[in-house]
Amino acid sequence: MVKSIFKATILFVLIAVTAYLAFYYAPIEKSMGVIQKIFYLHIASAFSAFVAFGICFYANLRYVFTRRPKSDWLGVSAAEVGLAFISVVLITGPIWAHPVWGIYWTWDARLTLTFVLGLLYVSYLLLRSMIEEPDKRALLSALFGIFAFLDVPLVYFSIRWWRTQHPQPVILGGPGSGLEPRMRISYLLMWGALTGLLILLLNARYKLEALRASVEQLRREAEVR
Amino acid sequence: MELLSNTAVLLGKELRTEFRSRELLTTTVVFVLLIFMLFSITFHPTTSESQQFGPGLLWVAFLFAASLMLQPCFLREQTNDTLSALRLSVGDPFAIFFAKLTANTFFLLLMELLMLPFFAGFFNVHILSVLPQLFLVLFLGSLGIAIPGTAFSAISAQARMRELMLPLLLLPVLTPILIATTDVTAGLLGAEPSLNFAGLGIMIGFDVVFLTALWLFGEYLLEE
Amino acid sequence: MKNLDSVLAAYLAGWAIFFVYYISVSQRMSALRDEVERLKTLLTKGK
Repeated sequence: MVKSIFKATILFVLIAVTAYLAFYYAPIEKSMGVIQKIFYLHIASAFSAFVAFGICFYANLRYVFTRRPKSDWLGVSAAEVGLAFISVVLITGPIWAHPVWGIYWTWDARLTLTFVLGLLYVSYLLLRSMIEEPDKRALLSALFGIFAFLDVPLVYFSIRWWRTQHPQPVILGGPGSGLEPRMRISYLLMWGALTGLLILLLNARYKLEALRASVEQLRREAEVR
Repeated sequence: MELLSNTAVLLGKELRTEFRSRELLTTTVVFVLLIFMLFSITFHPTTSESQQFGPGLLWVAFLFAASLMLQPCFLREQTNDTLSALRLSVGDPFAIFFAKLTANTFFLLLMELLMLPFFAGFFNVHILSVLPQLFLVLFLGSLGIAIPGTAFSAISAQARMRELMLPLLLLPVLTPILIATTDVTAGLLGAEPSLNFAGLGIMIGFDVVFLTALWLFGEYLLEE
Repeated sequence: MKNLDSVLAAYLAGWAIFFVYYISVSQRMSALRDEVERLKTLLTKGK
């Protein structure tokens, strides 16, 4: 208990510092103005969401081959936490796009990818809620998760040849994509803070799933009596 | 070799089951006809509007029809309790999927071909000059719908609310194939017909990726 | 400082989502803990 409060406190301080840096330390971007500050949260959340779905894919594969319930718990936790992050991406994105593009939404490659990714994992969680038996639920949802993840690059490339409106990546982009040093520090800290948040949330959700499994076990014992 | 002969036998079974009653084919044909009629009378498009929006309407209608048509694919085996017998009788469970997805592709394609003249008539587009290219698009698209469709039909048959679950699983996964088929079809139906090779590439890529995944993971889908 | 309110709204919405999600996980957790207690007493009584 003390440990988890300690962890949460460290994370809170980190987030507060990053928010301060993003707002006051990092300079205001020349062409977009102050609205660009949304990027710190937007990009770091997107990164965490993709990491979470990657973890989910790994857990799904691992479940199919090892059949350890722990992989199943990790899979569902990662999917749910990933959805939390992707909803932040999908909310901050349009808030940024409206003043800059003049529209809230467009079916650009990255936007479509993010949206479909969210939908795929909503389906994954829905499917889980529709299967009662734990082993069957774990196996079938893991298989769906594998198929869903394979779909991700296909979604991206199927729109890629359309006109892409989304700004190109500046952090790992090609030459001339350098970042102002104070901006880079703010990005890195925000990225670190949200990775920490990802670990915290994943850990909490995983414990919840483990407890749920033991409750299911207890219930079955109680029914046998 | 054994895979192919097993598949051939199973495919014969699938085709016989359907052609005996023709239930799926008649219902989906009527369903798509209804969607065409509803789109056509609500939007009342001119030819140039049809060239723009028609391909999207066409593929959305086919997608909905497919999510209905794929429903009984594994459900039928479950209600008749024939799935375990099927699994015992073939060495490689992929043969079951291969036969079912071939049958599904065939019926989807047949339905789509039956509906094309109605589409051309209701929406005033010319399809005769691009028929071979259109057939290729229809084939790759139907295959792309049938591969994950057959796999997810095996999943949804084991879940509650299965009639709703199948479209919920299937439609987001089919986004790339919908985008690609709509794009390529729009290219063919435009004022100056052209074949969009990037779109065809995506369709082939989609089919190959999911066929490989089904080949690798199909056996786990049928575990008891 | 045009659009500053949009930036604030985005950050508030973002943190709110994370916070609400964390709270919901904790709540589900404590509900399950109660359930475990209940089942355990039920099982020991049955003996």
